[in-house]
Amino acid sequence: MTVAFAPSSSRSGEWSAEPGFGVYVHIPFCRHRCHYCDFNTYEGLDALFAPYVDALVTDIERWDGEPSPATSVFFGGGTPTLLAPEQLGRVLAAVTERTGIVPEAEITIEVNPETVDETTFTALLEAGFNRFSIGVQSLAPHVLEGLGRTHSAGRALEALAAARRAGASDLNADLIYGSPWERPGDWARSLEGVIDAAADHVSAYALTLEEGTPLHTLVATGRVPDVDGDVQADRHAVADGYLRAAGFERYETSNWAQPGRASRHNVLYWSGGNYAGFGAGAHAHVDGRRWWSERLPRDFISAVEQGVTTEAGFERLDDSQRGPEALMLGLRLKSGVDLSALERSYGEGFLAEREPVIERLVGAGLLERSGSWLRLAEQSTMLANDIICRLL
Amino acid sequence: MDQEHQRAIAVIAHIDHGKSTLSDRLLQLTGTVGDRDMRAQYLDRMDLERERGITIKAAAVRMNYKANDGEIYQINLIDTPGHVDFGYEVSRSLAACDGVLLLVDAAQGIEAQTLTNLYLAVDAGLEVIPILNKIDLPAAQPEKYAQELAQLIGCGPEDVHQISAKTGQGVPELLEAIVERVPPPKGEPDAPLRALVFDSVYDAYRGVIAYLRVVDGRIKSREEIAFIATGVEVEADEIGIMAPDPTPMPELETGEVGYLISGIKEVRLAKVGDTVTTRNNRDADPLPGYREPKPMVFAGIYPVEGDDFPLLRDALDKLQLNDAALVYEPESSTALGFGFRCGFLGLLHMEIVRERLEREFDLSLIATAPSVGYEIELTSGQRIEVHNPTDMPDPSQIEDVYEPFVDVLVVTPTDYTGTVMQLCQGRRGDLQAMNYLSPERVEIHYKMPLGEIIFDFFDQLKSKTKGYASLDYEPAGMQPSKLVRVDVLLNAQPVDAFSTIVHRDKAYDYGKTMTERLRKLIPRQLFDVPIQAAIGSRIISRETVKAKRKDVTAKCYGGDVTRKRKLLERQKEGKRRMKQIGTVEVPQTAFIEALRVDSDGASS
Ligand SMILES: Nc1nc2c(ncn2[C@@H]2O[C@H](COP(=O)(O)OP(=O)(O)OP(=O)(O)O)[C@@H](O)[C@H]2O)c(=O)[nH]1
Ligand code: SF4
Ligand SMILES: [Mg+2]
Repeated sequence: MTVAFAPSSSRSGEWSAEPGFGVYVHIPFCRHRCHYCDFNTYEGLDALFAPYVDALVTDIERWDGEPSPATSVFFGGGTPTLLAPEQLGRVLAAVTERTGIVPEAEITIEVNPETVDETTFTALLEAGFNRFSIGVQSLAPHVLEGLGRTHSAGRALEALAAARRAGASDLNADLIYGSPWERPGDWARSLEGVIDAAADHVSAYALTLEEGTPLHTLVATGRVPDVDGDVQADRHAVADGYLRAAGFERYETSNWAQPGRASRHNVLYWSGGNYAGFGAGAHAHVDGRRWWSERLPRDFISAVEQGVTTEAGFERLDDSQRGPEALMLGLRLKSGVDLSALERSYGEGFLAEREPVIERLVGAGLLERSGSWLRLAEQSTMLANDIICRLL
Repeated sequence: MDQEHQRAIAVIAHIDHGKSTLSDRLLQLTGTVGDRDMRAQYLDRMDLERERGITIKAAAVRMNYKANDGEIYQINLIDTPGHVDFGYEVSRSLAACDGVLLLVDAAQGIEAQTLTNLYLAVDAGLEVIPILNKIDLPAAQPEKYAQELAQLIGCGPEDVHQISAKTGQGVPELLEAIVERVPPPKGEPDAPLRALVFDSVYDAYRGVIAYLRVVDGRIKSREEIAFIATGVEVEADEIGIMAPDPTPMPELETGEVGYLISGIKEVRLAKVGDTVTTRNNRDADPLPGYREPKPMVFAGIYPVEGDDFPLLRDALDKLQLNDAALVYEPESSTALGFGFRCGFLGLLHMEIVRERLEREFDLSLIATAPSVGYEIELTSGQRIEVHNPTDMPDPSQIEDVYEPFVDVLVVTPTDYTGTVMQLCQGRRGDLQAMNYLSPERVEIHYKMPLGEIIFDFFDQLKSKTKGYASLDYEPAGMQPSKLVRVDVLLNAQPVDAFSTIVHRDKAYDYGKTMTERLRKLIPRQLFDVPIQAAIGSRIISRETVKAKRKDVTAKCYGGDVTRKRKLLERQKEGKRRMKQIGTVEVPQTAFIEALRVDSDGASS
């Protein structure tokens, strides 16, 4: 297969402070829905795979936004790897064609362990992807079962190993902690497992019960014990301990990376950067305008086929909203936010208005300040919402 | 109508024994309400009455009845409420009657309000017609209870009417008995007008409607009249009867019961108990009035939204037009903002007022823990009234604290005598008397602090006696007691809304209950929150709400920042709506829940 502009398959660890431009591509298909999942994804839509890929390509080609070479591309889902590498390659090529991609770009695809083997990774690398985010979630069989994952722990480790063998350099392992079935040892073993498998990036998310999911119902009806925030806080600390010892550093609430391996796409979100979004329910943002596409794959496809816009909704934020939003996002990053930069961008008084609250929170040891930078204290990482909403 | 053909009666009974249902049958049998228009408890017209299935306000109605002697009689009937909170409605109704129908549920027998209402009727010198109702019930024991009732009244069991207000069985005979046994009114038709106001309500369209009974003379439409007590002089714009709907009449004769509309806009100017006379006769002797309802229970009522304070004031003003028993004055609380200290007849009354405020005026309210009114004798010799625990002076200035006592009457099956006595003793009760109504039923009289019974006493009594015991009480003056104020502190800040005055021996229990409740109600914060209960500076109970450890969204799925922002904005809005006590954020619901008390005396 050919790619109009082939980005290098391994990128150097450095990326500039300039957030760049991202492209998100959504693949809304899964084999089986996991019990906790409220993502925009659907089972049993195999018949839509081909038309969906066509629609995606067309939609990307028709995109009328200001083209800016992508510094990061992210194929998320759903389970992108339910599509054939060629299909995924076609979509990536369309992105390259439309927006351009910088040579050092980070091009990530989410991978479900049960859908891939070494040849898949080889094909995906060839198609231009250079970073794999593997949905490991846990290495404890009973946890995987409780979550409704259909792969084994062994299969997840095998996926990491296969990616390495195929020559992948950037590997993320997605983990979920604090599920009702997880014992402390389970969590430690999962961390050890992905560290040993040489992942250089770990995303560890506290299990969240989302309304409408089977798990939420099970808990609401008392058949499964509720998740415990205190336990989750403990697990977060355990994760930090293990990962730090293995040379990782936390750069965002839920994300750890080896030096220079922080996900550029992830950082883009948290630094209020611009990104296009393609596919069913994909979100996009450019300079304070946020919009999203038709959520249902069928609606997305038919919009494309009828030649009408796939945009389903948007909001336009003025400076008085963008400032607080930038704070809300930036404080998730370990580096925090540059308040004077925010004031320059979003208006006089932005700081003054919040100074008393900031003062109090700094005094209480919940926020830290150095120069014009403001960040959450380490101990407040897991309290981010409570603290941030006081600053909005 | 001439007096010989008039009868004025009230239906009295314990709650739920079927007064309103009997009234239905009487309305039907006399053709006052047609079968097509009939609905159950016809005279319970307020929404609240219909929803709760209880009578709150007494209702008067006129019926014409053709008796077996071929004559037409005018029967003025008043249906009264059974709940203890509204006992004063009964006493005012009795002032407009010459006889009562005393109803007893044939499956329950005599209960507390049966006795209190009977005593009221006997004191007023009224003819009592004893009736066993609900004889259609499979559980009815008419023979047994007829015996009991006969013994109580001092008549033969055969004199007790046995009826079913539901099926109508025995009601025709009852109508005859009313004509035969209730004496006609005794007033002087030729004397100057004297009419007793026994109820007074405000109507948005017509102003104040005064319900009255003409004792002497007659009252004519468009006549110049005067209210003796208030001195108000007005013209009688409209005079009429309830039949059962308001029906204007040219005049009301001696003995008759009806209503008067006179352009008066405030109930307090046409007061219950006042005497109406003609203008040129305003020096006439007033008729004996009856005791004004006196608030027994006090609580602060606050709007959840501080901005609603003016609305609450308007709402209370409007409600008071119709509810002479409601009193209020503005107060402020650091925890709850601006509100009103309100006085109520009892907890059911409080609950009803609150429900009406919320429903009819679309307000969302928080009520503080209800308390009774205290009198405090200061070391200076001065005596002050305290309706709000926070107004209690420093202990060093207090000589003595007086609290209201009540005479409590419990009627119970003898099997539960010990249980009831134990309960009363545990509430600082003093046994006054015991009287066996029959071998199976006893009435027990205690003197007790009102503060001990307004909370869960009734619920306790009911549950400990499997629902068989019933309760009534009436004020019995103030007595000195060992009372202390318990404060509740959040992170060392006293929360005025939670302060309460309790007996020294109960202070620890109150403190413990409140701190435990609050520990469950106060959401975890960014730091540990100690919750303490204290008497003065002495801590008597302590709990801690541990600092929360996790409050963070795991991720920002697929770049959906909008969703995350909305989530945080909601959280921020939630914080904005919380009350700030020092550094502690307390949701309104915590106040509402912590201050929730179980109603007492509500129908079971
Ligand atoms: N089976 C039966 N039920 C009755 C009879 N009379 C009343 N009831 C029922 O008893 C309940 C209470 O009746 P009400 O007429 O509301 O009683 P009340 O004495 O007016 O009650 P309050 O005004 O609240 O004190 C209702 O459910 C009636 O249907 C009767 O003769 N037989
Ligand atoms: S694989 Fe991912 S997207 Fe698919 S159902 Fe599971 S959690 Fe949801
Ligand atoms: Mg009734």
